[in-house]
Amino acid sequence: MKSEKLQGKDLINVGIYSAIYFVVVFAIAMLGYIPIFMVLISALVPILAGIPFMLFLTKVKKFGMIWIMSLLMGLLMLLTGMGYYSLIVGAVTGLLAELIYKSGNYRSTGKAILTAGVFSIWVWGNYLPFFLDIEKYFSTRQEYIDAMTRLMPAWMCPALFAAAFIGGIIGGVIGKSLLKKHFTRAGIA
Amino acid sequence: MQNGILQTRIENRSFVLDPRTKLILLITMSTFVLGGMGSESASFLTPCLCVLPLFLLTVSKKYKSAATYAGIYSAAYLTFALFGPHTSGCLHFLLLGAAGIITKLMPSLTMGIYVISTTTVSEFTASMQRLHLSEKLIIPLSVMFRFFPTVADEFASINAAMKMRGISFGGKNAGKMLEYRFIPLMTCSVKIGDELSAAALTRGLGGTVKRTNICRIGFHLQDMIMILLCAVPFGCLFLDACGAF
Amino acid sequence: MIEIKNASFQYANSENSALNNISLSIGQGECVLLCGESGCGKTTVTRLLNGLIPHYYEGRMTGQILLNGMDIAKTELYKTARHVGSVFQNPRSQFFCVDTTSEVAFGCENMGMPERIVHQRVHDVSEKLHITPLLGRSIFNLSGGEKQKIACASVWAVNPGIFVLDEPTSNLDIDAIEDLKNTLLLWKSQGKTVIISEHRLYWLKDVCDRVIYIKKGQIGFDLPMEQFRLFSPQKISGLGLRTLSLKDLSLHPTGFHNDGTTLVLKNYNFSYKKTPALQISSLRLPVGEIIAVIGHNGAGKSTFSKCLCGLEKKFRGITCFDGVPYNRKKMLKKCYMVMQDVNHQLFCESVDDEVRLGMDEGNADNVSSVLKGLDLTELSSRHPMSLSGGQKQRVAIASAFLANKDILLFDEPTSGLDFSHMKQTSQLLRSLKGRKTVFVVTHDPELVLRCCTHVLHLEKGTEVEWYPLMEENKKRLIHFFLHEKE
Repeated sequence: MKSEKLQGKDLINVGIYSAIYFVVVFAIAMLGYIPIFMVLISALVPILAGIPFMLFLTKVKKFGMIWIMSLLMGLLMLLTGMGYYSLIVGAVTGLLAELIYKSGNYRSTGKAILTAGVFSIWVWGNYLPFFLDIEKYFSTRQEYIDAMTRLMPAWMCPALFAAAFIGGIIGGVIGKSLLKKHFTRAGIA
Repeated sequence: MQNGILQTRIENRSFVLDPRTKLILLITMSTFVLGGMGSESASFLTPCLCVLPLFLLTVSKKYKSAATYAGIYSAAYLTFALFGPHTSGCLHFLLLGAAGIITKLMPSLTMGIYVISTTTVSEFTASMQRLHLSEKLIIPLSVMFRFFPTVADEFASINAAMKMRGISFGGKNAGKMLEYRFIPLMTCSVKIGDELSAAALTRGLGGTVKRTNICRIGFHLQDMIMILLCAVPFGCLFLDACGAF
Repeated sequence: MIEIKNASFQYANSENSALNNISLSIGQGECVLLCGESGCGKTTVTRLLNGLIPHYYEGRMTGQILLNGMDIAKTELYKTARHVGSVFQNPRSQFFCVDTTSEVAFGCENMGMPERIVHQRVHDVSEKLHITPLLGRSIFNLSGGEKQKIACASVWAVNPGIFVLDEPTSNLDIDAIEDLKNTLLLWKSQGKTVIISEHRLYWLKDVCDRVIYIKKGQIGFDLPMEQFRLFSPQKISGLGLRTLSLKDLSLHPTGFHNDGTTLVLKNYNFSYKKTPALQISSLRLPVGEIIAVIGHNGAGKSTFSKCLCGLEKKFRGITCFDGVPYNRKKMLKKCYMVMQDVNHQLFCESVDDEVRLGMDEGNADNVSSVLKGLDLTELSSRHPMSLSGGQKQRVAIASAFLANKDILLFDEPTSGLDFSHMKQTSQLLRSLKGRKTVFVVTHDPELVLRCCTHVLHLEKGTEVEWYPLMEENKKRLIHFFLHEKE
């Protein structure tokens, strides 16, 4: 009865938590229309989405669930026109996150928080197109290039990466404490 | 979020593309417009691609989205043309930067809006099945789309409950606000999720047989045209790459 | 042929066993009613039959369930699904798809039937259940009754020999129950075996042939319906069951508060995108009474509730409480709705914190007395989410008390409750009389007769009837709940 393979129940769980996770992402991304927030989002999303993610991790007991969720986020980004960059990033980081959590036998709290951090890196994928080929895209307009490089200098790229990762860790810690405070006592997790 | 993603009504559609064509369109947009890749020789193609979402939204009778897109895009473009030369310093960079980001992001995002507002979940999952994606991806995907409106509903109820208790934003503790929203949202979603799983399993989800899908999708003339259109910039890119060696 | 042999089950996180050595056999074509108090184990029996136990719900199981000789515990769920179709309590959570056609086809698709046959089955089943106009629509725009019909169609499309229904009417109005009854009769006429676990019994007395009463995980009695029908109303309620006949219900007069103060609703008009949902120009209601709000699905009950509580932003109506006018925003402070799913309104980590949240500051000293009055003192350090449904309801009421709300509105407080819990809720509501003005939106005639003082009957967004609930008006009320049949 207890098989190692993913079953209907597990797959449905992935779908449900992905929906909750994405609704959080979506709500925060709405802020992104204000340019300054665009940068903040890379940390905000992982922090807030970390809360449902930690609850999700309590349901993860078999290989593949985290990875699938990561791919789903990438697919959604592609569908909403954010490009396939986070799908590619998520395919790698999702697998890494999965392996990290697996190495703690899907139980370890420390590993769970690290998993939340690594998982969150998919958010960074959304910024990649801004660092690819700025010169080429705006090749006809030098002013644009200047403006863009002023707004998004090259060092920003690793900074955003770090922001996503650290945001994920913070989100994981918050999520864990809320889990302890509420869900364990309420009998959900 | 009110109408959810992929919650289209089927009755009033005139111009229909296969979801796979739409995926190709999205990939093309994100490569050339968002990613800024493209051959020097065919740089005129990028502006053409930017018009594509406008065209698609119009033929799908999504006039409002089309107008919004046209409006914002031209505003961003005009900002650059009109104010660019006359401003300086911080404001200059902020204006140009914002305009730059908008012109880069908008076409692709609008294509996304077109896709999610003209496709149904069944069409989308059917196309995923035709692309031979694993059921392990398709099942969570359909559950997720099914669940978006539910989460939105739950959110609305919780907001109403918070209002009646006099808890609202602007209070001193933003952290508490989030906690109050998240806790009931997640408890309720988890409960609904459990019931949903049980119901789906008693109807045979998760079997070993290959699932049928009764949703009819397929390529038509308009799909061919769109795919050919997308092939052009990729072709140019390929030719460029060949020429470089 | 179903055979349950010495089955016992204990849920993984529970200390008591849910079922204790049950043996039972059900022949083909039988229509069986499972009844009993909440938590007696009747839902567990349905789960044994459709295989959710032991395949989905974890726990310790002994004994054997044979379905035409097939051992369910050893059969994968998707194989059992071909033989047993299940309909559940909550229409909101039993759908997998977002549009109706895919939903009806869902079971067949999972079996991997050829496309042509799936289309054929969807078509046939929809004709038989008269739901063809519902096909191709979004699930989220359907009423509860329509959703339940789609759920039945989806199960029927697979054409199983056995149908298992677990409290299917908890969220349905009278018309939808009537429709469900017809569906069951249709299945019965086709020789299907139907097993239904249910609290509301009156609609089943002409449908089921056999009644199995379950008490504390064991079979209390197993009688033909003819015999069960002869039970006196006292005996039925003594067993903790809901009434068998709405006509037998008696009014429990509560007396009126009647202090002359009034609540006047003015310009209660509201529309959703030009479709009018509520049209009441002026309505005078007494303060301090318990007012039942009844009406069919779509009568505007929930719009009425939202407008009264000030939750509809565009609502412009005025409510005069004891002569003082209140606009929408002020009503938000004066009103409190206890929602059907109370989970939406519990935020804190303990009952004590919960009732203090949003509390009127002058009430700090009253916390313990309010908790005591609602029998919550011993629970004050528990997490609200870990409480039972009735306890959660009381926590919500306590917080309304402490926030100095004058008007309380209950949305379907007894859906899915058995007799004793319904009785508890009615006593609780009665205790509010004179202290608060209470509105109860409900489909439950038993509850109305037990605790309400007035009835407000809405249809098509406007009030059609408004009367104090006295012996001479009882007939009017019962007539509303029965009118389909007479």
